[in-house]
Amino acid sequence: MRERTVLGLNLKYSRTAIIAAILAFVTLFIPYARVESDSYTAVSLMTKLLSTGEGLGRFVMVIMVLGNILGCIMAVVNLIKPTKVGYRVWVVFSSVALAAYAVLLFVTKAAVDGKGIFTARFLVKYFSFGFWCGLIFTLFALWYVLKTAKINPGYVVLVVLTIIWLFPISWILLTSFREEGGFYVGYFIPHNFTLDNYLNLFKSTSVIPFARWWINTFVVAACLCVFNTLIILGTSYVLSRTRFAGRHNLMKGMMIIGMFPGFMSMVAVYNILKGIGINRNLGALILVGVAGAAMGYYICKGFFDTIPKSMDEAAIIDGATRWQIFVKITIPLAKPIVIYTALTSFLGTWSDYIFPSMLLGDKQSSYTVAIGLKWLTDFQRIDSYYTQFAAGAVMVAVPIVILFIALQRFYVEGLSGSVKG
Amino acid sequence: MGTTMKTKKTVKKSGLFSIFTQGDIFSKLSFIIMGISNIARKQIVKGLIYLAIEVGYIFYMVRSGFSNILEMRTLGTSGQGMVFDEAQGIYVISQGDNSMLILLYGVATIVLTAVFFVIWAFSVRAGEEARQLKLNNKKVPNFIDEVKALFDYNIHKLILAVPLLGIITFTVTPLIYMILIAFTNYDAEHQPPGNLFTWVGLANFKNLLSASGKLSSTFWPVLGWTFIWGFVATFSCYFGGMFLAMLINSKGIGGKKVWRTFFVTTMAIPSFITLLVVGTMLGKNGILNVLLLNWGFVSEPLPFLTNGLWAKITVIVVNIWIGVPVTMLMVTGILMNIPAELYESAKIDGAGPFMAFRKITFPYMWFITTPYLITNLIGNFNNFGVIYFLTGGNPTSINYYKGAGKTDLLVTWLYKLTNDTKDYNLASAIGIIIFIISAAFSLIMYTRSGALKNEEGFQ
Repeated sequence: MRERTVLGLNLKYSRTAIIAAILAFVTLFIPYARVESDSYTAVSLMTKLLSTGEGLGRFVMVIMVLGNILGCIMAVVNLIKPTKVGYRVWVVFSSVALAAYAVLLFVTKAAVDGKGIFTARFLVKYFSFGFWCGLIFTLFALWYVLKTAKINPGYVVLVVLTIIWLFPISWILLTSFREEGGFYVGYFIPHNFTLDNYLNLFKSTSVIPFARWWINTFVVAACLCVFNTLIILGTSYVLSRTRFAGRHNLMKGMMIIGMFPGFMSMVAVYNILKGIGINRNLGALILVGVAGAAMGYYICKGFFDTIPKSMDEAAIIDGATRWQIFVKITIPLAKPIVIYTALTSFLGTWSDYIFPSMLLGDKQSSYTVAIGLKWLTDFQRIDSYYTQFAAGAVMVAVPIVILFIALQRFYVEGLSGSVKG
Repeated sequence: MGTTMKTKKTVKKSGLFSIFTQGDIFSKLSFIIMGISNIARKQIVKGLIYLAIEVGYIFYMVRSGFSNILEMRTLGTSGQGMVFDEAQGIYVISQGDNSMLILLYGVATIVLTAVFFVIWAFSVRAGEEARQLKLNNKKVPNFIDEVKALFDYNIHKLILAVPLLGIITFTVTPLIYMILIAFTNYDAEHQPPGNLFTWVGLANFKNLLSASGKLSSTFWPVLGWTFIWGFVATFSCYFGGMFLAMLINSKGIGGKKVWRTFFVTTMAIPSFITLLVVGTMLGKNGILNVLLLNWGFVSEPLPFLTNGLWAKITVIVVNIWIGVPVTMLMVTGILMNIPAELYESAKIDGAGPFMAFRKITFPYMWFITTPYLITNLIGNFNNFGVIYFLTGGNPTSINYYKGAGKTDLLVTWLYKLTNDTKDYNLASAIGIIIFIISAAFSLIMYTRSGALKNEEGFQ
């Protein structure tokens, strides 16, 4: 093949793409699926499906075959005269063909079962090399067509990854709107949609005091957010900007204490709270959370360390007290870390499970959402409450996701603050 | 304020011993009667506060403190039982001693004593400071000056008071208590208030670490899995996140923010929710098995959480699902800091993308993120949530000690021992072992990272 150049195309890769597309076309005519003696090529299975019945599967089959044929035609067209438009069209055909292959992997069973096409019930392992080679050649063709058209083939990977990552999330979202109750259902998309799962959660007659749980968690989270942020900021400021005897030992001590697994001492904390007389109480949760807050000074102190000390010194010469420096200079300069600290303290409460569950026992009216939702997935309750559990999970997740995405920038700054080595 | 700052600097710090040898009679007395030196220099309120603290402490020690500490030697002698009451001529139930409370009160008294001695040292120093100021004819600060100083050069005392009180009460005291428990036989058979427990020395550690026996044949496999899990979970998420960040960051990918948001969404959802949901999806009748059957991938449900090996792989895969976006988010920031010229010159020298990653991106990343990786590794050794919410440590094994399972980490086993079987002594011993592991890895980080040593580096 002569070396040609076309503006906007990278013809270096075109040969591979053309060969792959032609090979993908060829695979349409070699054995595609086989169960014992029943063997079909892609084309013959398609015609068989079209003649025998209805359903989504046969359309996908048609799209796949058409996509491959058209892809091959575009390969020939582009071989004769490569154009930018020609490659763009080819990209479309190839991606459609690949998507159809991927979908076929999942719907073929539903399409062929019970139609008398195969003697046995269909399984994915009955696909022959016609299918697998077709899939691989189509992928290759698309990959190199994208490269020729100067489109990053990373899109293919990203689409696949996004589907995997959003799969559980879409499942819980769909379940939360499902009208049919129960945990064990044999399908992914609900047959009927409803808002009842949400409404039931907030009904006063509901068995599940979800609104109460939500408010409990919110109150604890809000209190801890305020108090912990104040304590962490104060501790970090003092440890970073002032020098006093025992400072190093204090930091070392806190580091060492932090290395013991936290809930090892949970039982003892519980007994101390019992001694004070405030166990089984949300106030105790706040108290213990605030009491340990200073241990999380590390990231915040690292940030304060980067603020030039000359600013403090200038302020001292001007007669400012340390307190004024803290409030009027350091905190305004440290806005990202203030938000980071507040965000992490707020979010931490929503996920906190072990200590609250031990502290609150079976006192359901004081539950936080984490304990409450876990309680709902107990094997005795999961079947009756699964859709409501899903709705509850969504009710917790949505506000937090919005908050998190809105403040993402600060989270990243805090996170990378911890790795600046 | 200027004057107080100056006075602060003129007073030289001296050791307790030299205070005693060089001070006057009040300084010497202040070793026994706290605050008297301050009162003698007209710092009445301050002196009285110190004195009140001393009186309160002594009162407490006489009333219950000494006996609390003395009882710790045996942790109680009389068990619960029927005792003949001669006055009434019948048998009555005697409550007996509660070893758990005895130990807890004892520890609390010891911590209180330690705090008292710190205050005592402060008071002696404060008295000496006042004496020297007087000696040099400087103004001795009155109580209002002292309060003002709390907002200035003594701000650390003001700000740290509450957090330290909290840490001492709710972290240090419980921790000492639990560490001591590791040297007792506070297990399922010795539960107060019905039964007493007592000191057994290193017996628990011997049982755990010995070469044979049910306990050690649980401990070593669990420890091994904890390490495998820690390393695999950390590095899979690390490289996965790096790959994803580089993919989204690579040239020609449009809508970077949108892609990133897809993945960030999964990490923003509180992890217990995703774990609970994924846990329900992976069961024998969970949606994943249902779909795999419907799609014809398998002809029987897969034992995602019920077979030892499957469960181990499942938790690692799910952890990748959770952890990759976190690393992705972090790495994104660092990637942008790598100078673009490096890549350009590499390209001119004919390096492909893989070479550029191996020679530029990875070394840079590795250098910067080592402390993060080690913190993460320690975090994963103690990753309670993933295991607890997904498998609960199951499947259980008959070869293992009560209730421990194939996917149990040390930390989830510890939880089971405290919560289910009430073998607090073993739980505490395991806690100490976890501490030793964490400390060892932290030490590596400490020596490798400059952040802790060069805290003045940026200023």
